[in-house]
Amino acid sequence: MDLYPLYISAKLAVATTLFIPVVAAPAAYILAFCNFRGKSLIDAVVSLPMVLPPTVLGFGLLIVMGPKGPLGGFWRELTGERMVFSFSGVLLASLVYNLPFAVQPMRAAFEKLDIRLLENSAVLGLSSTATFFRVVLPNSLPGLAASAMLVFAHSLGEFGVILMVGGSIPGSTKVASIAIYEAVEAMRYDDALYMSLAIIPVSFMALLAINRLNKISRRRS
Amino acid sequence: MKRIYALIIAFLLALPMSANAADLLVAQAANFMPAMQEIIPAFKKATGIEVQATYTSTGKLYAQITNGAPFDLFLAADERRPKKLFDAGLAEKPFVYAKGKVVFWSMDKKLAEESWQEAIKSKKLHKVAIANVETAPYGTAAMMALKKEKLWDTVKPELVYAQSIAQTFQFASTGAADAGFCAYSSVFTEVGKKGAFTVVKEAPPVIQAACILKSSKNKAAVEKFVTFLSSPEVISIKKKYGYD
Repeated sequence: MDLYPLYISAKLAVATTLFIPVVAAPAAYILAFCNFRGKSLIDAVVSLPMVLPPTVLGFGLLIVMGPKGPLGGFWRELTGERMVFSFSGVLLASLVYNLPFAVQPMRAAFEKLDIRLLENSAVLGLSSTATFFRVVLPNSLPGLAASAMLVFAHSLGEFGVILMVGGSIPGSTKVASIAIYEAVEAMRYDDALYMSLAIIPVSFMALLAINRLNKISRRRS
Repeated sequence: MKRIYALIIAFLLALPMSANAADLLVAQAANFMPAMQEIIPAFKKATGIEVQATYTSTGKLYAQITNGAPFDLFLAADERRPKKLFDAGLAEKPFVYAKGKVVFWSMDKKLAEESWQEAIKSKKLHKVAIANVETAPYGTAAMMALKKEKLWDTVKPELVYAQSIAQTFQFASTGAADAGFCAYSSVFTEVGKKGAFTVVKEAPPVIQAACILKSSKNKAAVEKFVTFLSSPEVISIKKKYGYD
């Protein structure tokens, strides 16, 4: 059995979990603490990938990220490479797809913070950036960890979106879920079973960890 | 208010009934969809029998059938899977209903104007879409042509693999891939007409076989449909979509 797809899935899950805070944290911060006109609009845009069928999102990304699409065209000018059918492309798609799953728990953790903490920090003259790193972050760690685990587990199981923008290239974009799908199509049911058996316990452990973290954060508040 | 809810619930309950109204349920390999969508209304006109088709890949349909999906007829994209169903005692003897051809298709008309071999050798292509060579018959046929022309190793780093011949065409037609080894039938679609193609003569014809499933409860209707598949009317529809 080819074990490479499992490796690619793990790589994708780790990379998505590492990179997603860059986009998700500011979004969660704005949604939790700021009030402005059009906030519900941003909220809806951030949550959209969660409710769109993966095939719709994937097809949209295939066009936007294709060499003639706005994003894919820009990427091509920049790197000379094609964005679709590459690991970077799959990673970007994964980031888009996982955004709501990262933002929602983060936002919940931020909203649970004691407002007095933030007020004290303002009274003591901390800038909002300093407040974020020295007050908000340490006090919402369990929620952030839960968000990370959710994104990790979710990326391991991703299928529809990657099917559209990945192209199933061995060693680059052929993730475990696609390898399993192909094994079923090729009537290699044993391969499909073994690869699924490798994914299930990891995802299960991640869910256990999320429950545990949620409990901790509830006790704290 | 209560009455409105009751109405909505009654409506929702009634929906599945109308969806199941078809007399025949056909499992159809996706590449034959354009032709099938003309064959079904023609059959209804001739016999009054309602046919509903599910279009997806042969492999998936096969897995569904072996797990008890309630289809009457299986129109595959290969000969292998109907034969396996026959050997397992799940289906009647298979018969060939169409022979498909592989084409080299591109949105870029200049690319497809040259011979497909020249296009691959020219290195103007960066990504070429092909259907999964293990599971999709059109992918296997395209691979055989490439190997025959000793171009397999040249093109291999550029290949992107689609799960079905329909997805292969999607990769090529959205411009995500520069060109693709597609089914002749996809050339006749709205988008297909916007590009250009050459027939890959080196690829063996894709022989598509079908079989009546033993679990079918509508034997008389399904046999009528099978007979209709070799009528002059259907033969001309098949020709129109590039099948022999």
